[in-house]
Amino acid sequence: MDNSFLHTKKLLLVDDEPELLKMVSSTLSDNGFENIITAASVKDAIDAVQDKKPDLTVLDVMLPDGDGFYLMQKIRCITDIPVIFLTAKDEGNDKLAGLGLGADDYISKPFLPQELVLRIYAVLRRCYKEDSPMINLESSMIDFSRAEVHKDGEIIPLTAMEMTILETLAHNEGRIVTVDVLCERLWGSNPFGYGNSLNAHIRRIREKIEKDASYPVSLITIKGLGYKLITRK
Amino acid sequence: MRSFGKYISKFLARFTAMILILFFFNIAAFGWTFFEIISKDYGDISPKNMLDKLETAVSVNGITDESAKQLESDNIWAVYTDICGKVIWTLNAPSEIPKQFTVQDIAVISKGYLADHPVFIRNTTDGMLMLGYPKDSYTKLTSNYFSLHSIERIPFFIVSILVFDFAILFLAYFFSKRKILKNTEPIIDSIEALENGEPISVSVRGELSAVANSVNKVSLILSKQNQARANWISGVSHDIRTPLSMVMGYADRIAHEKNVDADIRKEAEIIAQQGAKIKELVQDLNLVSRLEYEMQPLNKAPIRPAALIRSYAAELLNTGLSDSYSVDIEITPAAETVIFDCDERLISRAINNLVQNSIRHNPKGCNIILRLDCTAETIELTVSDNGVGITEEKLKELKEKPHYMESTDDRSDLRHGLGLNIVRQITEAHNGTMQLTSAKHSGTSVKLIFPNNK
Repeated sequence: MDNSFLHTKKLLLVDDEPELLKMVSSTLSDNGFENIITAASVKDAIDAVQDKKPDLTVLDVMLPDGDGFYLMQKIRCITDIPVIFLTAKDEGNDKLAGLGLGADDYISKPFLPQELVLRIYAVLRRCYKEDSPMINLESSMIDFSRAEVHKDGEIIPLTAMEMTILETLAHNEGRIVTVDVLCERLWGSNPFGYGNSLNAHIRRIREKIEKDASYPVSLITIKGLGYKLITRK
Repeated sequence: MRSFGKYISKFLARFTAMILILFFFNIAAFGWTFFEIISKDYGDISPKNMLDKLETAVSVNGITDESAKQLESDNIWAVYTDICGKVIWTLNAPSEIPKQFTVQDIAVISKGYLADHPVFIRNTTDGMLMLGYPKDSYTKLTSNYFSLHSIERIPFFIVSILVFDFAILFLAYFFSKRKILKNTEPIIDSIEALENGEPISVSVRGELSAVANSVNKVSLILSKQNQARANWISGVSHDIRTPLSMVMGYADRIAHEKNVDADIRKEAEIIAQQGAKIKELVQDLNLVSRLEYEMQPLNKAPIRPAALIRSYAAELLNTGLSDSYSVDIEITPAAETVIFDCDERLISRAINNLVQNSIRHNPKGCNIILRLDCTAETIELTVSDNGVGITEEKLKELKEKPHYMESTDDRSDLRHGLGLNIVRQITEAHNGTMQLTSAKHSGTSVKLIFPNNK
């Protein structure tokens, strides 16, 4: 997956351990991130958010002058940038508190820097869509901005439901998305008994995007689990 | 009631023995007290012996000097009459003695007293000897008759009164015992609960309340200690995280640094991997200790376990599972819509531990099956593989031997990982049971059975 378009995003790291800040920021720059700023306290972090307008912030829960949850509320008053929590506690309550406040992800110490990098990519991808909303598939191309499929010079329109399914799969391209997630996305929080309807939508999408809908190569079924979208670079 | 029979038999035996000892002691005390009196009363000067002795020593002609002397020394008087009641001679007799005894006199005297002296009579060949003992030396039963009917009833009476007495004694014993047991039972129960590490609070009134209070205090101290221990482990595992992040982070950087020698990169890789292991261990340790001391707050919410299993499996496959492993999902139609009120993270953790066990123990690959089934009463979650399986001894060991954290046995072969232990604890925290089945070369299967509360 090409993430290089995300490398220009400005990241704010907040942690009271200068050594940890140094390590994380050097790992991030090794991975191609160009704009990294750091802060060691709630006050510095708020100043940095106001002055430097980062695109994403990684917050430690425990800070010398307050906790990360408080800091996130403060940041949310200023801007709506995504927040990833970094904390030394791994059990339940912190996570709920973090996500309940609207944090975008959560990672517990100790962590492998690569893990953090992957999470940052995932959150950035989710929040800052690629400028070109086109996806290349084996035998077609999807234009999300116009809700159209281009296949063999033909332009086929997509329904709202089909768009939702394809967007969900495209966000997780190359990864399995379970039927439960798709049903919930389509029909809300109580998605019982929509399995057959989902199958019907998938079949119609395949007819639009695959060369042969009976032998799908782009939108493939993972038996018992869900579906996966394979894109072509 | 707790082993009541045992108490009864043990204490009753002692109780009976004590009554017998008491009984014999009473007889001994009685004998010791009355020995002298009895020996005197039935000794030489007793009326019967005296009469026997004098029978030959008296006649109408008088009494031998020797016998007279003895009577005098014992302060006994004597009267001798002929067969018609006429007084022949007297010895020291009181003055009220008539010269001639009538038939009525004899009838009264033979059963009773003469001038307040107890009198004893013996017929001789030619007359009658009458001995008068000092006043108040003997008492005579003047109405000494009982109906034969009453006499016949005496043995029956004695036996029944004894039986009755014993019954009363036994009942008294029984009720006092029962009262004690009734008070001690909650205390014993709570001490047993303490052994299992459960916090208790027992309330007993009466003389045992002090014991109950002490037991409560012990429980409080124990739960404080448990809390302290859990907090300590949680603190250590917290403090270890930041330094470990640094170790892992830099090791990982060196491992990916292109300008560094390949050997060093490899070594750095190992440091990072081992760091990841320490991380898992620390997290497991914290979770185990919190589950162990029941301090893990269960964030229960109704979820669809079918969705949970699919989401777990998708995540597992998405993170890149080696091709030598395959994952199959089997969810019965009934289980598809079942709702399980559980802590989603913990259940997911349990499934992950089981799957990771299958992966770890089958390095050459295997097929892993996640199965969800449900009945009206149960929700059954099974993780099985077709891998190398577990030998019978090892299986027995896994089932029987406690985890090393609970064991005082230091032998390392008992130290299987925390993984299965965590699964068991999570299952038990959800009121479920864990079934482990396996055989060499035919795979391993772990079934978690939870109550289906609808």
